Amino acid sequence: MESEISIQNLTKVFKIKEKKQGLAKLTKFLKPYSKELIAVDNISIEIKKGELVGFIGPNGAGKSTTIKMLSGILFPTEGKISVANLDPQKERRILAYKIGTIFGQKPQLWFHLPAIDTFKLFSKIYDLDKKDFEKRLSFLVKKFAIGSFVDQPVRKLSLGQRMRCEFVLALLHKPSILFLDEPTIGMDLIVKKSIRELIKKINKEENVTVILTSHDMTDVEDVCDRAIIINEGTIVYDGSFEQLKNNFSSKKVIEIVSETKIKLPNHKSVSIMKKGDYSATVEIDTKKKSLKRFLDKLISDNVIDDITIKEQPIEEIIEEIYKKKVKK
Amino acid sequence: MINKYAKYFWIAEINFRNSFAYIFDVISSSIFIALIIFIFINLWSIVYGGRELVFGLTLPMMIWYLVFTEAMVTSSGKLITEIGAEVKSGEVANYLNKPYNYVVYKYAKSIGSTIFSFILIFAISAIVALLLVGPIEINLIHIPFMIIATLLGLTLYFAMSAFLGILAFWIEDSQAIEFVYSKLLFTIGGMLAPLAIWPPVIEQISLFLPFSLVAFYPAKLFVKFSFDSFIWVIGFGVIWGIVLFLATALLFRFMSKKLSINGG
Repeated sequence: MESEISIQNLTKVFKIKEKKQGLAKLTKFLKPYSKELIAVDNISIEIKKGELVGFIGPNGAGKSTTIKMLSGILFPTEGKISVANLDPQKERRILAYKIGTIFGQKPQLWFHLPAIDTFKLFSKIYDLDKKDFEKRLSFLVKKFAIGSFVDQPVRKLSLGQRMRCEFVLALLHKPSILFLDEPTIGMDLIVKKSIRELIKKINKEENVTVILTSHDMTDVEDVCDRAIIINEGTIVYDGSFEQLKNNFSSKKVIEIVSETKIKLPNHKSVSIMKKGDYSATVEIDTKKKSLKRFLDKLISDNVIDDITIKEQPIEEIIEEIYKKKVKK
Repeated sequence: MINKYAKYFWIAEINFRNSFAYIFDVISSSIFIALIIFIFINLWSIVYGGRELVFGLTLPMMIWYLVFTEAMVTSSGKLITEIGAEVKSGEVANYLNKPYNYVVYKYAKSIGSTIFSFILIFAISAIVALLLVGPIEINLIHIPFMIIATLLGLTLYFAMSAFLGILAFWIEDSQAIEFVYSKLLFTIGGMLAPLAIWPPVIEQISLFLPFSLVAFYPAKLFVKFSFDSFIWVIGFGVIWGIVLFLATALLFRFMSKKLSINGG
């Protein structure tokens, strides 16, 4: 199958102006100081039509820069990009009809007006036929269950309602590729879950290619079939999520509160991060010791008041993968 | 062709409606301008000192001139700072991935809110002028021509702001540029007083610069209309408009390659 998105040897270097202190500021005008920051460093990716791809990485890893180059907003320093058989930088406005974008922290709805007004405006911006627009809108309104608040000013909507409207807006012109940059940022768990379900549904029903970036590993894990981990501008992992989870995310962080003096199972796979008389935080490598066996022992030795099991933080997994320099 | 540009009309229309949310901001600006007009009435009264005409204008004409220039410059907003903030926050990304021309989009959006503010600021300032110096003679036939000159002035305000604002793709401190730009409009643009207040050399130079087309020329037409002046303003304004829009389009093309967006 032909690639929907093809990235070859893509590099982006930013020139950052350096701020000087004191008198050195004055010489800035004569000789400006600048340093180069390599945001994306020689990456190559092929993405097929209908794929659900997650871009993972810490702040400043190069995820958003890559997405912005794919949508034609930023110009690459080197390399070739093809998105829907178009050159994003040369054919930005034609490409705009084929892509939908959601930047979680930069809403597109007009804040003081009802969402329906922005929908109507976008129908003009994307040159949609009036009948097609009405049909598409009524389909999306039903699908995203926004009918009860589409006529209310956006400022009066909850974050979850607002994001559902943002999705409708991004999908109005039937894009074939959806770029989602931190779409669930600031949301509670229930809303996050419903947004994730909607992304999967739209991908399945309309065969939309989805590129998702998120700090939240659960988001990416739940939605995407393929994970691309970027760190310091380079791809440190590209493969299935299953393999990523099995190979690199075997550690869990467990917070325990006990009614009696806490007694922790002793095993080399268990490392104590914090310990008090009645509480403790431990990290367990589930590859070396099963979580079930650890919990069974913990419950039999203590009177547990509360327990929280957390995934290993994404930054730690990336760090581990990066250290091992594993590439698929 | 018309359909291609219809989207920009809708952008202006939605921003006009959106501006109602900021009505209290505009009213507070209007009250401040009303206060300035009150102060200027007192200052100009001393300057006139019983004389009928100063710079060819009567006292009421001078005050209505000020009402008009204040409304022109204040209603146009701070576009340079706005573009700078959009680049800094990364919001500009939302506009650059749409099937429209970014500069024309900003123009349509700006015109929508500017017309709203202009009407409101002019109305409130006009009440003050009417109460304190009385009306001036305006021929109703001239009003459509006045509207054309006003829209042209606001368009040129935008064109200059857009050119300077796009520099924000590269220069970090757009507020400093906005400060200088607004002060040029105050002085050699003729916002605070007609250009005849300057020494002849500065006056002659200012008369040919685009700043005067934003404040001085439309306000002068408003208080003392003549078809000769109108034709000069339109011809002169259209030439500057074409030059500025072409320069802005070229600058945008060049700067978009240098753009670096935060949050990426």
